[in-house]
Amino acid sequence: MSYTIKTKLTKTFIYIFLVILFLITIVPVWILLINATRSTPEIQQGVSLLPSNNLLNNWKYLTGKGANIWRGFINSALISIPATLLTVYFSMMTAYAIQVYDFAYKKILYNIIILLTIIPTQMASIIGFYKYMSMLNLLNSYIPLIIPAIAATPMVFFASQYLESTLVKDLIESARIEGASEIGIFHRIILPIAKPGAFTMGILSFVASWNNFFTPFMLISKVEKYTLPMMVKLLRGDMYRTEYGAIYLGLAITVIPIIIVYAMFSKYIISGISLGSVKD
Amino acid sequence: MVLVESGIKVRKSNSKINKNYYGYIFTAPFIIVFLLFSFYPLIYTFYLSLTDMTIMSKTYNFVGLNNFKQLFSDDFFIKSVLNTWKIWLMNFIPQLGIAMLLAVWFMNNRLKIKFVGLWRTVYYLPNLLMPVAIAALFYNLFSRYGPVNQIAVRAGILEEAFDFFRSPGWTQSIVAFIQWWMWFGVTILYLMAGMSSISPSYYEAALVDGASSWDMFTKITLPLLKPVLIYVLVTSLAGGMQMFDIPYLLTDGRGSPNGSIMTMSVLMYMKFSSGKGFIGAGASVAVMIFIITAISASIIIRLLREKE
Repeated sequence: MSYTIKTKLTKTFIYIFLVILFLITIVPVWILLINATRSTPEIQQGVSLLPSNNLLNNWKYLTGKGANIWRGFINSALISIPATLLTVYFSMMTAYAIQVYDFAYKKILYNIIILLTIIPTQMASIIGFYKYMSMLNLLNSYIPLIIPAIAATPMVFFASQYLESTLVKDLIESARIEGASEIGIFHRIILPIAKPGAFTMGILSFVASWNNFFTPFMLISKVEKYTLPMMVKLLRGDMYRTEYGAIYLGLAITVIPIIIVYAMFSKYIISGISLGSVKD
Repeated sequence: MVLVESGIKVRKSNSKINKNYYGYIFTAPFIIVFLLFSFYPLIYTFYLSLTDMTIMSKTYNFVGLNNFKQLFSDDFFIKSVLNTWKIWLMNFIPQLGIAMLLAVWFMNNRLKIKFVGLWRTVYYLPNLLMPVAIAALFYNLFSRYGPVNQIAVRAGILEEAFDFFRSPGWTQSIVAFIQWWMWFGVTILYLMAGMSSISPSYYEAALVDGASSWDMFTKITLPLLKPVLIYVLVTSLAGGMQMFDIPYLLTDGRGSPNGSIMTMSVLMYMKFSSGKGFIGAGASVAVMIFIITAISASIIIRLLREKE
């Protein structure tokens, strides 16, 4: 009997703990969304967990003051969509090569990929990258923000883990006997089989590119080329200093698309993250 | 018959040898882009750290290790190293502790916690949100007239509104808290993935031998989880040493108040973006970030591996 009481107490304690963590995670985001609908005086008067009716006014203030959130949206999409496609396609291709073929530097390549997945070098190389791009006249261009997506090491690692668990080598062999070309096998057999993995990779790389602040911030100085995170940074400038409602609305607009994508595809994302860790 | 069979065999193995050169073709785009856009910039940054280049000047001189000598006699740099480690530890220790606790509970068959999928889905959410928006959000939440002060004053915890961003200790804690908030959900997922690959038969055998939950945790879970723990520790450390977005965006971008959240990356950017645009000096901070990360990561890996 004492045993069951003890488990019950433990479980109650655990659930309380889980709920507290749940609130810590959700309440800040909730306040952000709610405050987007409240007026600045309302926000200054106190916290509310229920929406108000000032959304339209906040919207007018937000869009009436220079910082063009939509421009940021479009610019970010112009970078993130091609970057994501390149990452998914070429990471799958590289991982496929590592899984299927035997070639001289395969082992070294794979070890370098694991090493760079664990220890990224973006921050350590950004100044050289900036200077290099300025010599190539590519500052204020989206090329340095898109092309490097071809070599997204963490995603190659992920794709490799994924293919290792789904790849059927007999299928490749029999396609070869039927005379399929290697690139044809990759396009018509491997990519369709790997679709769920490719989809997870797509979401993760899109979010990473969409949220990326530092690289565009280093390379882009023309306001009309600003990405969404850079626009959000502008929100905190002098223009909006006291217009909390408009600031919160601007933040909410950037956060809502991600929340929607997550609500729809959380299963893919969660399983993808779990697959991304080193287990052996 | 024999001839035909061996003929097929030869053709088959031939086709396999011939196809292997596709390994070079299929990895070529990755390797070329990697060399051009990752490797070369890294080497180039190392080279720049040995020069006195600025954005403004057309020419520059090779100054050897001068930039590094200056860094080590610069209180700002020492402070940025200490800040980075302090904020990382303040975030990582509770992060690993709480994530481990939750992962053990979620994986425990006897406890049968409900809605595990929901809990971990929610805990992971902050990791997907835009750091720029998160920094702005928490700045507003903790500002003098923000919700945290409003609630604390109304509940009688504080007598009057407190200026969190004037206190170095509080500002560091808030950065560490935001980092924890963004990353503990990820660590739960990693630990659970690692635990689910441990065979249940170990636990069954331990139960038969009358082992306590604590024994099972320290003698089965922890040792078998070591590779995942090393991975979590090293990736978090590497991310922590490069921490930029939140400390840069939370206050004024110069580590205010009193340089308390000036991390190494923030200092690097401050040198780069200062009036003259010190590329050489900034690059030397970048090289130090790289060296500190690489050395501490390899020490951790070696220490944890050797215990086996």
